[in-house]
Amino acid sequence: MTIVAQAILNGIMTGMLIAIPALGLTAIFAVLRYVNFAIGAYATVGAFAAWYVNTRFGLGVFPAALVAFVAGGVVGLIAEQTALARLRPSGALAVAIASIAVNLILENVIRFIFGNDLQGFDLPIARDWRFAGLRFGPQQLQTATLAIVIMAVVFLFLRFTRFGKAMRAVADNPDLGRLFGMDPARIAMITVVLGAGLAGVGGVLLGLDTAIDPMTGSRLLLSIFAAAVLGGLGSIPGAVLGAVMIGVGEELAVLVLPATYRSAVGFATILLILSLRPAGILGERNT
Amino acid sequence: MLKAEGLVAGYGAAEEILKGAWIDVEAGEIVTIIGPNGAGKSTLLKAIAGLVPLKGGTVKMNGADVTRQDALGRSKAGLAFVMQEKNVFGTMSVAENLDIASFGNSSGMAARREAIYARYPVLAEKRKAMARTLSGGQRQLLAMGMGLMTEPKLLLLDEPTAGLSPKAAEELFMAIIELNQSGLPVLMVEQHALEALEISTRGYVIVTGRNAATGGGKELAADPEVRRLFLGG
Ligand SMILES: Nc1ncnc2c1ncn2[C@@H]1O[C@H](COP(=O)(O)OP(=O)(O)O)[C@@H](O)[C@H]1O
Ligand SMILES: [Mg+2]
Repeated sequence: MTIVAQAILNGIMTGMLIAIPALGLTAIFAVLRYVNFAIGAYATVGAFAAWYVNTRFGLGVFPAALVAFVAGGVVGLIAEQTALARLRPSGALAVAIASIAVNLILENVIRFIFGNDLQGFDLPIARDWRFAGLRFGPQQLQTATLAIVIMAVVFLFLRFTRFGKAMRAVADNPDLGRLFGMDPARIAMITVVLGAGLAGVGGVLLGLDTAIDPMTGSRLLLSIFAAAVLGGLGSIPGAVLGAVMIGVGEELAVLVLPATYRSAVGFATILLILSLRPAGILGERNT
Repeated sequence: MLKAEGLVAGYGAAEEILKGAWIDVEAGEIVTIIGPNGAGKSTLLKAIAGLVPLKGGTVKMNGADVTRQDALGRSKAGLAFVMQEKNVFGTMSVAENLDIASFGNSSGMAARREAIYARYPVLAEKRKAMARTLSGGQRQLLAMGMGLMTEPKLLLLDEPTAGLSPKAAEELFMAIIELNQSGLPVLMVEQHALEALEISTRGYVIVTGRNAATGGGKELAADPEVRRLFLGG
């Protein structure tokens, strides 16, 4: 029983971290209408940028996460403008495939710069808390808090700011947005920065309690994509809900299956959702 | 007020859709454009609103040439265009739709929104509802309200009663008359040609991108040729 409860707790924690890049993926999909698989590499870029300022300059988790956001966002914007945006006239599938190529290229650029070794963050080691037989680390609490704050900021931004509303409006109906003075192309680029930046932050948060290497983001890609698909591509609350469900699902799966089958949860989810309910749990469109 | 002359426009490399059409609207008027399907009526409104690039002709608002202005520029010059379809943001609430409609000019937005609620109480009731949950008539009122948020000098409506029940269409025509009586000129395209011409000061018949006939609303509605072509009698 405790084992199951612990697995659920861990799953919720991991899920909240997966939710951050999943929000990025789903936001980019909502506005630009393609699945950006390079989000995995943006997460790695963010993780390495944060690791660099952490181990080099001793920056703590919060400022390092900010650096990760900027690094992810800038790299995402460059990739979009140099490669992906040019392919948009060829359709969403062409852009999605190109984003896989971008993912591979960025992964190897990181490998070239930082090498293939595992890198650990320089953080104070703290003992886990125990409560009712459950283990819970101070580091986990910190990353979970940060994840919740980021999600809240994203929600409030989209719901209440003029620009956030314009982003949702353009995601809904770009032609009508243009009629009321919005510039869909500009809003798309800002969405890319935001989405890739979120992926960057997710990369750090997920890398903090393990170690990072050039494959970090690519390994997470399946869970991130599954979370966004499960919640309904393009749905912001859906991405969060989907991520927590995937996180819990993966933790529960490894209770009964060998750990190497963890990613089977993501695969199975994508397969089931796409064949049974393509709009996902909270998806609004049937595109 | 509006003077659009010699409009030539189309989509891409294909043959032009508008081949020199013209439209005048004077202060206080309701003007209706009728014509067969595919004649270019929607394209004409889009060309006036700045959503289709012009290859020829001029558009003037109150004497000012706005031909070179984009959609936002024309909106600032006083033109509000309500498209026939997809004219609201379905995934956003009624209140958000009204607010976002003033994206180009958000000062005094709340007061303008309240004025629209006062004019259309049904929108006030539904202010928190998602736009896609509204009935056809309510959605059209919201789309018109969004146009009004830009404080227009001329309202362009593309088939405002399309897809509405006879009762809802009747109510919408009443709303258009009421708007017009409050001082706003209206230029609309309508399939319910007879009803629309009855409430119009003037009408235009557009056929294959050109003006085919023009005259007073009632006069056109009574014209045997117009009746034969468009009114099924
Ligand atoms: N976005 C578009 N792209 C290409 N062709 C279009 C587009 N919109 C309309 N057309 C074509 O332009 C012609 C006129 O269309 P439209 O102005 O909508 O006519 P109406 O409103 O009078 O029915 C039609 O032949 C239509 O197929
Ligand atoms: Mg039309």
